[in-house]
Amino acid sequence: MNANLKMIVFVLVLGIFTSGLLVGMDSLTKDRIEANKSIDIQTTVLMGNGFSNTDFTVANINEFFNQEIDTVTIESNGETYTFYVGKTTGYITYRFIGGGVWGDIIGMITFEADFETIVKITILEQQETPGLGGVVAEAPYLAQFVGKIFDSTNVTYPAPDETLIKYLEINKDNNPTNKANEVDTIAGATRTSKSFEFLLNQNYQVHKALWDAR
Amino acid sequence: MTMKLIRLKYTKWFNISKDGLVKNNPIVIAVLGICSSLAVTNRVENAIAMGLGVTFVVMASSATISLMRKLIPPKVRMVTYMVVISAYVIAVQMVLEAYFPTIAKQLGAYVGLIITNCIVMGRAEAFAVKNPAKYSLIDGFASGMGYMFVLVLVSIVREILAFGTLLGMQVVGDQWVNWVVMAMAPGGFFVLGLFIWGIRELTKYYETA
Repeated sequence: MNANLKMIVFVLVLGIFTSGLLVGMDSLTKDRIEANKSIDIQTTVLMGNGFSNTDFTVANINEFFNQEIDTVTIESNGETYTFYVGKTTGYITYRFIGGGVWGDIIGMITFEADFETIVKITILEQQETPGLGGVVAEAPYLAQFVGKIFDSTNVTYPAPDETLIKYLEINKDNNPTNKANEVDTIAGATRTSKSFEFLLNQNYQVHKALWDAR
Repeated sequence: MTMKLIRLKYTKWFNISKDGLVKNNPIVIAVLGICSSLAVTNRVENAIAMGLGVTFVVMASSATISLMRKLIPPKVRMVTYMVVISAYVIAVQMVLEAYFPTIAKQLGAYVGLIITNCIVMGRAEAFAVKNPAKYSLIDGFASGMGYMFVLVLVSIVREILAFGTLLGMQVVGDQWVNWVVMAMAPGGFFVLGLFIWGIRELTKYYETA
């Protein structure tokens, strides 16, 4: 057989074999992965509302979640935005997403009923550099955000989006007397810190406007 | 009995296993797969999951490559290895995300990085492409176990010192002060370095300049 033809046949066979393997694995695991993601979101919302993971189990999480949390959905420009509101706390949680250095950073943020003061930030998925930008998902770093506020009177963000308001700042100065809307950067990961600042502000701007206008 | 043991020493599968586990151990002798071994060895649970993941990928990719070794055009040899290895790594990632989500989260990017683990590619090129599937499977298993064995030993030391626990269970008294450095990469360097030195001394393996 001609060498080129042989190579084309081989590439086709290899493609069919690997695609078959991946499609098969995907169909076997897809439902469980989706269920795990949903449990992850429910757990994060409940923990943001002061519950601990001993208050519920994987078996009763759906029931417990519906009992404690109201889910509010708002449609805008063909997209659905979901807000989770604690029935007793009044805390508001939403899922945020935005580009990091190597991929999307996805997480959940919970506010007090004023929709300004941060109660908790949890990162669900990120692909930042392990040990550097990856710190963005670590509890000690995220603990810095607790009690900080998204200040609506703050300055306009200059770039990359001129219309974006910089409610919360992540600054390099490592100042022990940070302002109420200021958090330190991650040492050695300025780009991740700036991306995180941008996506938090951008998501807040969209969600706050929708919440106020509902 | 003695004769049986002597005969065993001359079987091909025994020698392949000995090579992967001790004589050419991927971490302590060949010094391959160091990046992931430093990153995931702060907990025994992660080391076991990573070790099993790598073992499965080396075995599956070596067996597949061995089965198709007579069909692989030499020009696309390396690309073929990459495609096969990537498919198996994605499969491992899916299984972890579906059935062991906590471990999948803790291992993070390192599961995906099995694709770039030199052990997997190394065994494909050095062994699987020249040997039958059954021996490639044994070779993959031995190399994976050699990798896992070092990972688990290092992680036992690191987890006890860094968190005072072993497989998540408290093993030291309340007075214990955690060694934070052991949970971080430098701790991995220290412990792994000591292991490499110790095992090379035990096996009398000395590199010549």
